[in-house]
Amino acid sequence: MVLEATMICIDNSEWMRNGDYVPNRFQSQADAVHLICGAKTQSNPESTVGVLTMAGKGVRVLVTPTTDLGKIFSCMHGVEVGGSADITAAVQVAQLALKHRQNKNQRQRVIVFAGSPITADKALLEVVGKKLKKNSVSLDIVSFGEEDDGKAEKLGAFLAAVNSNDSSHLLHVPAGSTVLSDALLSSPIFTGDGEGGSGFAASAAAGAAAAAAAAGGASGFEFGVDPNLDPELALALRVSMEEERARQEANAKRAAEAASASDSQNAQTRSAADVSMSEAAGVDSSAGVGQDFMDDENTLLKQALAMSMSDGAGHTGGDATMAETSGEDQDLAFALQISMQEAAASASGGTSEMNKVLHDQHFVSSILSSLPGVDPNDPSVRDVLASLQSENEQKPEEKKDKETDSSQ
Amino acid sequence: MACTHSHDCSEHDCASAWSLYKHIDLPRVWALNEAVEGSAKNVFRSWESRLDTSNGFLESNDDDPELLLFIPFTSDVKIKSVSVIGAGDGHSPSRMRAFLNRQDIDFSTAAEMNPVQEWELAENLQGTLEYQTRYARFQSVATLILHFPENFGADGTWISFIGLKGEATQLKRDAVAHVVYEALPNPADHRLPAESNVPSIL
Repeated sequence: MVLEATMICIDNSEWMRNGDYVPNRFQSQADAVHLICGAKTQSNPESTVGVLTMAGKGVRVLVTPTTDLGKIFSCMHGVEVGGSADITAAVQVAQLALKHRQNKNQRQRVIVFAGSPITADKALLEVVGKKLKKNSVSLDIVSFGEEDDGKAEKLGAFLAAVNSNDSSHLLHVPAGSTVLSDALLSSPIFTGDGEGGSGFAASAAAGAAAAAAAAGGASGFEFGVDPNLDPELALALRVSMEEERARQEANAKRAAEAASASDSQNAQTRSAADVSMSEAAGVDSSAGVGQDFMDDENTLLKQALAMSMSDGAGHTGGDATMAETSGEDQDLAFALQISMQEAAASASGGTSEMNKVLHDQHFVSSILSSLPGVDPNDPSVRDVLASLQSENEQKPEEKKDKETDSSQ
Repeated sequence: MACTHSHDCSEHDCASAWSLYKHIDLPRVWALNEAVEGSAKNVFRSWESRLDTSNGFLESNDDDPELLLFIPFTSDVKIKSVSVIGAGDGHSPSRMRAFLNRQDIDFSTAAEMNPVQEWELAENLQGTLEYQTRYARFQSVATLILHFPENFGADGTWISFIGLKGEATQLKRDAVAHVVYEALPNPADHRLPAESNVPSIL
């Protein structure tokens, strides 16, 4: 509820014809200006807002600070796009307009929309910034549109020169999916206003979120619902997602426990794949379809590997498949890991860790040399070690063969 | 209590003479070009604690020695004299210009306008100097604005204490001091004490 006089500096240069913001840069900027005007006047009835244009024939004040929103909106209609923006002159004119505000109790604030490349050099920007700081004028910069190198640096230096006590902000809105107004809503430019500003922001977010949900776009909130707006719905969605996840994990565990032999391993992998598939369907339908294909491939692969693994004690092969699948689907890997561990325990009767250790050549030879009566150079010992090593090599080779087969 | 003034002091209890600080509306004191927002309030203390620098100084921004200080009072006052304690190393202000009862002063207008009174200050680290005002002009002061344009050569101006001597009338210059507009009635803003539960049909 800060009593504030704000001057908004609009960029109406040639660069604003670009369409990388929907519908074009100038229109999205105008929407953002409407939003700001509404928020400022709503947070405090005595706050005033004025508008000036930075480009065109020169810096021109469209509206001096006023509480009348209709005047502001009507002036925005007649603005023509052309020329190039002069930021330093615009900010100085804004400062002058604020100096002559009617209510001297209002704080002074300038909001600059920097959409075109900045021609002024950094030193000049810093001098202007210091002058603003000396006269206790806060500055908000919305950087969008053109992104030449040096622009971010110059704006950062400008902000640092003006900023006193964190009352000034710099917001960078890249081109792409986000609408300029939405990006502003969640920024400190709005939320820094306090409760009044965020109340307006929440109500505007309702409209924005509804539109975004209809378009299927991301509104930036989890589950597409604003927690501020509808806390019960957001909470219910979150709780149900947690429950679903817990249920899937419980299913996977139960399926893993039911295994005892290699053919039930196949059933496990299939059921694990089913579990992951159903979960994928629950999360996102489009992504789930892609995962189904991958899961089918995985199940064939797993079956082949499981059969080869039931022959010997090649647990490193199982670990290698773990690494493969974890990249694709964490829960599938988790379920498979459980099933594999159970299979390993039932197949060889030894733990997988012991076998891993045994496969480490250096460790094994050092142990053997420390044992009394065993000579590492003994041919029989060497044979055993060699066989262990060749098993290691065989497994990755077999796996690679199976992979090329199944991928074809 | 022995006073440390170099001039003749008719009353030995000097502290009571420098008591206009009690009539300053401290929450509404503000300054332009201060390095730390809110530090302007610290310079108004009682006379006994004028040399106490534990709360720090009112510092201007680096490389800019100008300071503009707005001092609103809770009632109209008459100001007889002003005492300013700066800091060493050239940080003390060298000139002081006073304006009265204006809301619209910033650095550019302060530089152009003629002040009500202007003083050349000396480095006054012990607070022994006081600067007399033209008393006839300072008869009903609701807001005192002090502009310090220069200092004794340092980068920033540091002020430790400002003392005001005079008397307070009980009059108020503005009829309406502070207004809050309500677009919608909000009961939370109008919370009365617990006695409001008593029925008012009587």
